[in-house]
Amino acid sequence: MAARTGSGVLGLPPGPRGRLRGTTLLVWGGTAGLILWSWHGTRFDPIALLGAGGRAEILAYARNLFPPDLASAFLAKVLYWSLETFAMSFMGTLLSVAIALLLVFPATRTLAFSGVLFERDEAGRPIRILRIGLFLGARVVLNILRTVPHIVWALIFVFAVGLGPFPGVLALGLHTGGVLGKLFAEAAEDIETQPLEALQATGASRLQILVYGILPRVAPQLLAYSLYRWEVNIREAIILGYVGAGGLGQQIQIAISLFLENKLLTLILAIYAMVTLVDYLSAFLRRRLL
Amino acid sequence: MDPSPSAATFPRPDRTRALFPGLLSLCWLIAFVGSWHLAQVEPGLLFQAESRRNMAKFIAGMFPPELSGDFFRLLVGPALETIQISVMGTVLAIAIGLPLGLLGTASLTITGVLNEFELAGAPARRAARIVPYACARGLPSTFRCIPEFVWAFMFVRAVGLGPFPGVLAIGVAYGGMLGKVYSEILENQGMRGSEALQATGATRWKVLCYGLIPQALPQLVSYTLYRWECAVRASAILGFVGAGGLGQQIELSMRMFNFHEVVTLVLLLFLLVATVDFLSGTLRKAIA
Amino acid sequence: MYRLDHLSKVFDGGVVAVNDVSLKIGTGERVAVIGPSGAGKTTLFRILNLTVRQTGGRLWIKDQEVTHLWGSPLRRMRRIIGTVYQQHNLVPRLRVVHNVLAGRLGDWSLWRALRSLIAPRREDARAAHQALSQVGIPEKLWARTDELSGGQQQRVAIARVLVQRPEVILADEPVSSVDPTLAQGIVNLLVELSGTFHTTLVMNLHSVDLALAYFPRVIGFRDGQVAFDRPSVEVTDDLLNALYAGGSGAVQDTTDTLNGSLSVRSYVPPPRSH
Repeated sequence: MAARTGSGVLGLPPGPRGRLRGTTLLVWGGTAGLILWSWHGTRFDPIALLGAGGRAEILAYARNLFPPDLASAFLAKVLYWSLETFAMSFMGTLLSVAIALLLVFPATRTLAFSGVLFERDEAGRPIRILRIGLFLGARVVLNILRTVPHIVWALIFVFAVGLGPFPGVLALGLHTGGVLGKLFAEAAEDIETQPLEALQATGASRLQILVYGILPRVAPQLLAYSLYRWEVNIREAIILGYVGAGGLGQQIQIAISLFLENKLLTLILAIYAMVTLVDYLSAFLRRRLL
Repeated sequence: MDPSPSAATFPRPDRTRALFPGLLSLCWLIAFVGSWHLAQVEPGLLFQAESRRNMAKFIAGMFPPELSGDFFRLLVGPALETIQISVMGTVLAIAIGLPLGLLGTASLTITGVLNEFELAGAPARRAARIVPYACARGLPSTFRCIPEFVWAFMFVRAVGLGPFPGVLAIGVAYGGMLGKVYSEILENQGMRGSEALQATGATRWKVLCYGLIPQALPQLVSYTLYRWECAVRASAILGFVGAGGLGQQIELSMRMFNFHEVVTLVLLLFLLVATVDFLSGTLRKAIA
Repeated sequence: MYRLDHLSKVFDGGVVAVNDVSLKIGTGERVAVIGPSGAGKTTLFRILNLTVRQTGGRLWIKDQEVTHLWGSPLRRMRRIIGTVYQQHNLVPRLRVVHNVLAGRLGDWSLWRALRSLIAPRREDARAAHQALSQVGIPEKLWARTDELSGGQQQRVAIARVLVQRPEVILADEPVSSVDPTLAQGIVNLLVELSGTFHTTLVMNLHSVDLALAYFPRVIGFRDGQVAFDRPSVEVTDDLLNALYAGGSGAVQDTTDTLNGSLSVRSYVPPPRSH
């Protein structure tokens, strides 16, 4: 094994350098340490879970959940709530795409102030500063939108406009808008610049370049990102519902607090169905449109 | 050459294959209108007097942010716990997702050059292989399609409050996601190297370890680290159902309308995510 | 060593790659297989090295019928066959030493294989070094395989076969992806090695000149069938013209056919930032 770092004593060429091995060791050691610390801190106890006692607890709880409440009146309501959650995720994702598209122009570095479109730029300093300011402003806004967890947005909007799915739509729209905005901008920055130069040479304004040159080129990517976020959003719509944004999530919260386990199971099954549906639709659309 | 083509020779766009886009647009329109109503979208509501008052109250309440030492001391434990939950949750997710992902890789278990010789003309053996493959595909799907939030409160009911149910929830839900993506990554690898390894008489395990995983490692690690970043955000929220971490404090502060505390909590969360981002970046570079 | 009896291979979709081939190859023989592209030579080779199972006919290796082998007996049989591929089929991200030592995977336990990936044993590294010396690139022992040139990688592939110590070497167009100036060197190398270790050598070649120069027996293969099977001195220009006349057709890449993909599967990785 020492042949790796040997200096050819045995006639073998020297192995990978010792210093590199040192860094790798540090990384592995650090990771192991992190995991051990987390294991201890979270009181992770698989034995308790899988041992006789743990299994009994889980089985007892599972037995409580069955059978799911399938009364037709309840099922009709569940269907309505499912559609409400679906609608929340759909509108929320649409809103986020709108916000992202709105902000993609100022947030794209190569459109805002640097790069090949500005090589022969003759604008004065104040205008240049303004441009950079706009760029930074857009990026900061997107950052804020992304960083505030969607659930906090939801709480804010529930506070502002009341309960129901609308605050959920706003929360999803703003938060995801921040996520997509950054992704859209990065996608726009990563493309080849020659077509853009050509468009500029015909006298197109930067906005026109965005619409004619950049967006068509990155449209498949943007669509893929948006569809992927839809899959994330249907899951988040449940969580937002829990804090008051309507839909299946809110019903889950009610069922938990009133200990209605059988209804809870029905709701969980409905959630599973909704998420699977959106996952499937998203994959289907990605296959067909991309 | 006549530069102005007559109407008879002017090419018309081909409208005969427009069915799918038309259908899709119609579906989208129905979905849009339906969702608008179902989600009770009322943009006007945002601008009503009461809403504006509430928003103003909120913004005013945010400043100055709560920065007292007492508050921070209160948060240190939950903040660290959030990271711990994300790490253990991801570790558990790998433990669940890797075996399922391997079994669910068709090119490893049932199709392609690694299995063609053994399974041709042996329907019983093929069937025996397909069953675990189908399970390994179906199980992660179930795990994934129930949000970790839902898993969390189920586990809280089953094993009690604290960070442990949070770990389990993330482990199960993310295990499903990792399983699916690991299969996809492995199936996307070129099989030439693996074909050669198999030809030396290696078992599929050895072919996996020498041929598939070394090639796929950057992608596997990259996605796993991305999942860890998501896990940090998720862990913060699981506290809402009692599964540990900052979530509990966030809920408390919101319910008591202590918006200045909420701002601090959000900044703290941002810091946590940035730290995890940095660590995962280091790990990514180490593997590449 | 090999006995083929009315061997045929029909792929899904009706493509007949090998059509009723019967021949014998003795232990220690050196045989070249020549013919136009798409004739099915590669498929034949993949049947001979037990990667692809024939759809008709029977195959004996060392007087043992192999058609229905699976599991350990199959792997033991594969272990005595060493293959050199046209596109070397190495694992790019592994270091050369691991790719070479992969020839031993047929002998090693899983545990030993894994340990070797982390840190190869001294004697294993030495064996790999020796094999690399025989192919002329000993200094590349610890380099990452994808840093080597095409010709160097092909030699690593040959080193892998050396380390495997097989009883028969199948070389499927080993020099087609290599500079013509290097091609002769590589063919020469394989012929010498097979002589030194008394292994049977069957080589699939594009270059008729190399085939006639180095191999005492030449099989002409066309449209999935044996066109002729002669000692090389008896191969006339007429035979060669008939073999290559009007031959065409895309080279069937068996690996990709088996994996059912001639199209790229679209996998859009999830965006990194959230």
